[in-house]
Amino acid sequence: MKYYLYFSFLLICISLNAQNNLPSNSVIDTVFSPKLTGESFFENKQYIGEQYFNNDWERGDILLSTGEMVYNKRLKYNGLFDEVIWMNDTNFGKYQLDKSSISDFWLNSTTGKTIHFKHINIDDTTGGHAIDIFTQVGVEGKVSLYIQRKISITGEANVYINNSLFYFNNIGESPLYFIKNTSNHFTKLSRISQKVLLKVFPEKKKEIAKMMSDNHLNLKTESDLIKVIGWLNTKVFP
Amino acid sequence: MILLKRIVFILVVQLVALSCCSVCAQTARIEAAYLQTDRTVYIAGESVFYKLYVLEADTKQRSECSKVGYVILRDATLNSSVKIRVKIDTGISSGSFILPDTLTSGVYQIVAFTADMKNYGEKHFFHKEIMIANRFDKELNFKLASSNTKESVSTKLPSLEPNIQTNKKVFGAREKVSVRLSHLNSKGSVAVSVFEDPKILSTNKSIVETLNGLVAASPDKKVLTGYTTENSGKILRGTVVDVTTNKNVSNATVLVSCIDTIPNLQYAITNSSGMFQMLLNNYYNGKELFLTIKDVPTNKHWKIKIEDEFAQPDKWNPSVISEKVEDKEYLLKSQNIVYINKSYPMKTDSIERPVSNAKFICPELYHCPVRTVYPSLFVPLDSLPEIAIELLPLVSINKYNGKYRAHIMNPTTSLVYNYNKEPAIFLDGVFVDDINNIISLGSEQIKKIDIVYTERIFGDLIFQGVISIISNSNEISRTTPAEQSQRLKNDTINTGKKFGIIDPVAIQNKNFPFFKQLLYWNPDIKINDTGTADLEFFTSDNTSDFIIRVEGISNDGTPYNASTGIQVNNQINTPKK
Repeated sequence: MKYYLYFSFLLICISLNAQNNLPSNSVIDTVFSPKLTGESFFENKQYIGEQYFNNDWERGDILLSTGEMVYNKRLKYNGLFDEVIWMNDTNFGKYQLDKSSISDFWLNSTTGKTIHFKHINIDDTTGGHAIDIFTQVGVEGKVSLYIQRKISITGEANVYINNSLFYFNNIGESPLYFIKNTSNHFTKLSRISQKVLLKVFPEKKKEIAKMMSDNHLNLKTESDLIKVIGWLNTKVFP
Repeated sequence: MILLKRIVFILVVQLVALSCCSVCAQTARIEAAYLQTDRTVYIAGESVFYKLYVLEADTKQRSECSKVGYVILRDATLNSSVKIRVKIDTGISSGSFILPDTLTSGVYQIVAFTADMKNYGEKHFFHKEIMIANRFDKELNFKLASSNTKESVSTKLPSLEPNIQTNKKVFGAREKVSVRLSHLNSKGSVAVSVFEDPKILSTNKSIVETLNGLVAASPDKKVLTGYTTENSGKILRGTVVDVTTNKNVSNATVLVSCIDTIPNLQYAITNSSGMFQMLLNNYYNGKELFLTIKDVPTNKHWKIKIEDEFAQPDKWNPSVISEKVEDKEYLLKSQNIVYINKSYPMKTDSIERPVSNAKFICPELYHCPVRTVYPSLFVPLDSLPEIAIELLPLVSINKYNGKYRAHIMNPTTSLVYNYNKEPAIFLDGVFVDDINNIISLGSEQIKKIDIVYTERIFGDLIFQGVISIISNSNEISRTTPAEQSQRLKNDTINTGKKFGIIDPVAIQNKNFPFFKQLLYWNPDIKINDTGTADLEFFTSDNTSDFIIRVEGISNDGTPYNASTGIQVNNQINTPKK
C-alpha cells in the first residue's frame, strides 16, 4: 500500500515539475529547426541487388545549403539515383530530398561509425563536364578524396513471378573516385592504380612513387588510396 | 518489507534529484537588463544614444542566451512613442533612436527587456526615466522629476571606480580635451558620454546600484507564460481562435510568407492551448508578413491573434516633482541649441551606420526544377480557369459548389493526386489563402506561372504540387485577405545612427555656430592591457559645466561607474551673472 502511495506521489511531483518548466531547448529545437524540402519517393523494386548505400534507415544530420543544420533524421542514400531519401517520423512517408538544398549529410551507423557525404556541384565548362553528385568524404585537405557510392546497372534478367515474366535489371556497386588537387581541380578515377594516381600529380611523380615504395604500398584498394592521399597531405603537400 | 523500503528509498532519491534539476533550470536562465543613455534630458527630435547590457541576474556576467532585445519609450498614459527591436551580441547592444518631433513635454520612461525576462513579469524589466521637452513648448508647464532614489541596498557587489583624468579642468571653446581612464579591468569595454550638466537631479539608479539591487532582490518565482528565450532570432507568438466559440484552436497550422519572386514559407502548429511560436527567419525582417491558417474546416471561423511583443500593461507614475525655475532654464537653452543645430547642421552630427552585408536566405518551398509558362506569349486569356485549360497541362481549376478549386494531376498517371487536397498556390511569393480571390487574374496581369507537378513536402506539410504565379505589379497587395488571414508589418532590427565625432577642421570656421550639449558618446571604448583607455573630443561654443560619465561591466561582471566635471568657458558667449 505504502509503495503505491509513494509511487503516486512521485508521479504527481513529476507531472507538476513538467508543468512548471518551460519547454526544454531540445523540444524547441525540433519545433524551430529548419524544414526539409523534397518530393514523394516511390521505390522502384524491379532491380536485382541493393540500390542503397545503407540498406537500413540510419539516423543522420543534414547541413542545408542555407547553412542551417537539421538533426537526427532517418536517412538512406540511394546510389542508383544519387538521391537522399528521408523517412518522415510523423507520417512515415518516404521523401526524396531536393538535391540542391543539401550541402552535406552524415549517416550515423548503428556500429557507431559516422559517414560524411558531401554535395559536389561544379559546373566545369573547361573540362566539358559538370559534376552534381553526393560523394562520401574519403580525405579532406589540400588534396581531397571523394568517393561516389554509385550503384550501376550491370546487366538484365527475366524473372518469373507467379507464372508471369518480369524484366529486371541487375545492379551492383561501381564506386567512382574524385581527387581534388591543390588548385581545386577535380579528377575522376574509375579504377585504382598507381599509374592513374601518378598521372593526377605529374609534378610530384617521383616523390609519390618513392613514398609508396618506401612504405611497401601496392595501390590496389580503396583503403590504400585513402592512405596515400592522407600521406600526400602530410608529406608531399604539407 | 526490505524490498519495499528499498523501492521507497530509490523513489525519494529520484524525487530529490528531480527537484534539484527543476531549481537549476529555473535559476540558470534569469536575465536582467541595464540600459545606459548618453543623457537623461532631451529635446524632441534629438537622438537617444544607448548601450544595453543583458546580464545573468545571478552571476552578473553577460548573458549569451538572448539575441533579441526590446526597448520602448512610453509616457505616463502608457502610449509607446518608440518601439525598437535590437540585436544583442554576447549580452551587449548599442545604437540610437530618434525621439519623434511631436512628443509633448514631460517625463517619459524607457523600458528594456528580453523575451526571457517576460517570464518573470514586468518588474524584472529595466526602467529608466528621461525628460523630454518639445522644441516649440516655451511654457514647459509640466512637473519635472526629482530624485527619489531609494536607500541603497544592504548587499554590495564589488565595483570599480575608474579614475578619470583630463589634461585640465577649464577649457575654452572649440578646444581639444584629452581624457585618460585608468583603474579599469582590462577584460572589457566601457561606454563614455560627455554632456552638459542639466543640474536636474536624476531619478535613475547607476549601473552599480542596479546590479546591487539584483543581488538584494529575493529570488522570484517564474510567471508561467512560457516565453522562449530568443537565442536565434525573433519569435512570433500568437493564438488561433475560433470566433464562433471564442475558444483557442489546437493543431492549427499557421503559415507565413511575404512578397518575393520566390515562393517562401514558414509555418508553426498551435499547441494544446491554441498557442503558436514561430522563429521568424531574418529574411522576413522589415517585410510585410502574410499570415494565414492552412486547411480551415468548412463552416469554421478561425482567426489568428498575434501577440504584441512590446505590450506593457503595467502602469507607471513619473517620479515627483520639482518646479524649480533653473531646471526650466536649462530646457529653454536646450531648445535654442537644437534650433541652432537644425538651422546650421554639421555633416558629422550623426553618421548612418553601415548596412549589414549579411544576406538572409529565403526559406524556399522547393529547390527542384519547375515547368514555367509565360501567358503573355500566347493569346490573351481573361481568367485563371481559362489559362489553366489552354496553357497549363495537367492543371485544372474548376467550380465545385459555387467555389473554384485547383488540382494538379500526377504526370505519370494523369490522375488527380487527391480531390480533397489542393496544391499550394502562391501569388508573388505569398501563400494564397483562397484561389477565388485571384480567379480573375488574366494574361495581362500575369508575368509567369511556375508549376511543380510532384507531391511536395515542406517539413511536415504535404502539398499536392505547387502553382506559383508572379504578377506584373504585385497583385497580391490588392487582394482582400480571407477571414483566417492577417497582414502584419514585421519590424526590423534597430541600429540607429552613430554619434558623429567632431571634425577639427570643420570647427575652424569661427563664423559657423557650433553649440553642443553632447560633446562625446562612445559605447565601446576598449581597455588596454594596463587597464587604461584614452579618448579625445572637442568642446563647443556652449559655455557650461560638462560631465564625463564612464559606465560599463567587465567580462567577470564587475560594474564600473565614475563621473567627473569639466568647465567650458567661451569668452564671447559667457552669460552675464
